[in-house]
Amino acid sequence: MLSAVAVTLQRWPIVGRRSELEVFSEALSSGDCAGLVIHGRAGVGKTRLADECRMWAAAGDHPTERVVGSRTTALLPLGAVAALLAGGLGLPGPDGQLSTVALFERTRRALHERHHGRRLVTVADDVALLDASSLALLGYLAAQGTIFLIATVRTGEPVPDLVTGLWRDGRMARVDLSDLSRTHLDTLLHLALGGPIEAGAGRQLWEVTRGNPLYVHELVLGALESGALVERSGVWHLEDRLLSTSRLRDLVEQRIGSLSEQARSVVELLALCQPLDLGYLETVASSGVLESLERAGLVTIGVADGEVRLAHPLQGEVVRAAMPRLRARAILLSEAERLEVMNPGPGPASLRIAVWRLDAGGRPDPAMLLRGAHLARYAHDFRVVRRLIEALPGEQLDAVAALLLGEALYELGDFEAAERVLARGQQLAGGDHVALRLAVTRTKNAQWGLCQPEAALAINAAARTVITAPQLAEELVADEASILTFSGRPDRALAVLEGITGRDRRTRVVRAIAGAPALAAAGRTAEAVSVAEAGYVDHVALGDELAIAHPAMHLVNQVFALTEAGRLAEAEQLARAGAEIVASYRVPIAQIFFAANLGRVAILQGRLATARRYYAEAAGLAEANRFAGPRRVALSGLALAYAMLGEADAATRILADRAAGPEFGFRGPEQQLADAWTAIASRQPMAASELFRSAAAQAAATGHRTTESWLWHDLMRTGGEDASARLRELADECDSPLVSARARHAAAARSRNARELAGAADDFEALGALLLAAEAASGAAEAFGRAGDQRAATAALHRSGRLAEACEGAATPGLIRVAGPAPLSGREREIVMLAAEGMSSKDIADRLYLSVRTVNNHLQHAYAKLGVTSRAGLARALGSDS
Amino acid sequence: MTPEQITLVQSSFDRASQDLSALATQFYQELFARDPALRALFTTDMALQKVRFSDKLTEIVRAIPHLDELLAHTRALGARHVGYGVRVADYQTVGEALFAALAAVLGDDFDAETREAWHMAYNLMAVTMLEGAASARPIGS
Repeated sequence: MLSAVAVTLQRWPIVGRRSELEVFSEALSSGDCAGLVIHGRAGVGKTRLADECRMWAAAGDHPTERVVGSRTTALLPLGAVAALLAGGLGLPGPDGQLSTVALFERTRRALHERHHGRRLVTVADDVALLDASSLALLGYLAAQGTIFLIATVRTGEPVPDLVTGLWRDGRMARVDLSDLSRTHLDTLLHLALGGPIEAGAGRQLWEVTRGNPLYVHELVLGALESGALVERSGVWHLEDRLLSTSRLRDLVEQRIGSLSEQARSVVELLALCQPLDLGYLETVASSGVLESLERAGLVTIGVADGEVRLAHPLQGEVVRAAMPRLRARAILLSEAERLEVMNPGPGPASLRIAVWRLDAGGRPDPAMLLRGAHLARYAHDFRVVRRLIEALPGEQLDAVAALLLGEALYELGDFEAAERVLARGQQLAGGDHVALRLAVTRTKNAQWGLCQPEAALAINAAARTVITAPQLAEELVADEASILTFSGRPDRALAVLEGITGRDRRTRVVRAIAGAPALAAAGRTAEAVSVAEAGYVDHVALGDELAIAHPAMHLVNQVFALTEAGRLAEAEQLARAGAEIVASYRVPIAQIFFAANLGRVAILQGRLATARRYYAEAAGLAEANRFAGPRRVALSGLALAYAMLGEADAATRILADRAAGPEFGFRGPEQQLADAWTAIASRQPMAASELFRSAAAQAAATGHRTTESWLWHDLMRTGGEDASARLRELADECDSPLVSARARHAAAARSRNARELAGAADDFEALGALLLAAEAASGAAEAFGRAGDQRAATAALHRSGRLAEACEGAATPGLIRVAGPAPLSGREREIVMLAAEGMSSKDIADRLYLSVRTVNNHLQHAYAKLGVTSRAGLARALGSDS
Repeated sequence: MTPEQITLVQSSFDRASQDLSALATQFYQELFARDPALRALFTTDMALQKVRFSDKLTEIVRAIPHLDELLAHTRALGARHVGYGVRVADYQTVGEALFAALAAVLGDDFDAETREAWHMAYNLMAVTMLEGAASARPIGS
């Protein structure tokens, strides 16, 4: 039947995808919509639908373009989107940096001009395989309305942030493709074969393919070639068995495996270097070969542009996987050479040439590698940065390259290597700007990576003898302050920062990073919040520069400042928002600190299980990114949460884990809360008291006022020791209502003033510090009871119980008295704690200078109040897990 | 479609078309019951509309065995429907109304096999009509 042959020559018709095309059509005509995501499993027809959309758009006079992600193009930043880089790549500025913002903007303008303001409909096939820089550029152009992006995503592959971001903002339409229904498969076969098919054959094709269009396509074309599927008297029959494979990939492999040698070499060329010009391919292979490839559905030829591609990404994958390495290398190198002869000089082609050379294991142009590294750095793709710089010949490694490589190694957690590269970079000439950045990156690595603040200070001091231009020297001063802040010396950091004028934006940004946490620690919380806010604004205006933290670090600082200001709900909200932002930008250090700060806020709120979860997340992130110092901070928080939940063994295990890592001074006194609380949970109140005191002394000596207040208050609430005088002083020195509430609580506890205790509970509750509120209310109940006001006592007790319920299993000493129908007296509690530890009445009596009879009397009273009859029951009632 | 299905569609249609006007009336009733908004798309005299429907359906069913002929009819028909603002989802509704009308007219003769054959036939018509519609409506216009 003639019409059948005619149909197989052309592309197969598109069946069952009209409503998806309708979605596309509407999205394109809406000015708000930036693109369309096509999602579905391999072979479902994503590429085909995307192409159909592109053809529709072209018919409506839209300019169109196509970019394809692959493991090859992912090697060099922007390699996949070279065709879009209308304005070229540009050159690095005087400070050795390539301005990506300018590059993106130049590209936008060039495309706008080239297409007279019409949106360029751009198909990005297999978008998950694109490199980070290409994704960033596509995202930018789509958001600006320069392109309309059609992105395909294979089921099971991660959807890039660019797509999810636009989609979340409602700027991206989405279609999920599934396999064809039985009816649609029937229609597809009817149209492709040009006539009816015998019932058994139709059923068999359905059973084998289950409506997967690529599978059907490959199977039918294979069966036509092999003569298994034949037409007699206008009806198609299956004369032979179908290829017996259940895997789509195997099927593709079998079909490609049966190609002639010449056809195969064309397919291999396309798999590595597509798209290629038809005119060029005709010089490589005979037109008969190309025609047979088109007929076999393996290649498509663009009608308008004459560009030839493989019909499906899967075919490319199969061919590349099967190709011997040496053969691939030979093809890539000869294609690179050919393209270079045709396109001398810089330009989009030079990027493709570099990609091919790199993939072939050859030596691309060093300038191209360096530019690629800058682009990858902008996209925070540090693995690619390292790969590109390490591909540079040794003698080509200049100061800028050393800076890029050193930073990448630091970000990738290879701190020793970073130190070597940065130290070497400092010996290469590169101008003051680059020298400064090398020094600052090296101190950052010493401080955060190697956990050696003294070494960081030494590097900083050495750099100051060399770099003396006032503006640059000022940044080194800010850098010194940063080392001091993040190694636990906020007092010294603040003193150093006083010498900075901050005329230069970059210096202001660095100053804010060091200053905000130091101010917050000193109890100047309002100032700290505004410094962090201004720092963020300055930093965003500055752009993402080398050798400087990510702008999100200001948000981390702001969260910390808000927490110290007692603005817990705001802190939590900002930290959640920030965590979401940085999760998509690969800024591990900010991710770790957002999680740790969320844990910290939760501790103060009394949501202990939540705190445990966040701290565990922070510790996991820190471990994964090899940040030993921040991991120590996170583990301290984790142990603290466990201890406050009464889980002494877990807390002890975590502290042992923490001890295996290096010391890290940041928030040092606060880290010791974990040790003290673990002692409490392990029923060692004396040891706990010592730990609280020494940590508080250390906090006082280093300018950690808010932390000092925390430590004294915890000593008071766990051991009943008075610290009200010092807490009052601290409250006067700080502007934080949280610090003031602690002072009020301590003073009221000292004077056993029931109303004041209830007032402290009010203060804590208003701040959202529910565990502290519960404990203060519990103290109020006891004081009311002692004063004979039973009604007020009962009311306060109920309030305490209600507040404690929100505390997710808190088992702090201040709450234990709530467990029974009547509060335990101080003496009873003391005796009960020792008894629960397993001490005999005799031992307790000896330790407390009491008679055994008195001890037993107290114990009996306590048993009655707690509703238990034995020491084992006592331990359970106290929340012990022993 | 299988050759048997093509025969089944044609023979059942021969029976149903003994009273074509009843089939057409039943079809429009079913259609408007499913989507009253579609009524607005029909501006011509309904009697004339029913005659057009019957003629077109007869032509198409006769052409099923010859794909080229069928495509010529359905693609042109699809292209013509673009101007009426017909959307993809409407094809689904039309199909359901057609099957219901056939069931009402044919009674027990519209058995499971016949219904499946009509499903396949209608999908072939609808897909190729949509193809015609697509080529008549460039994007952005």
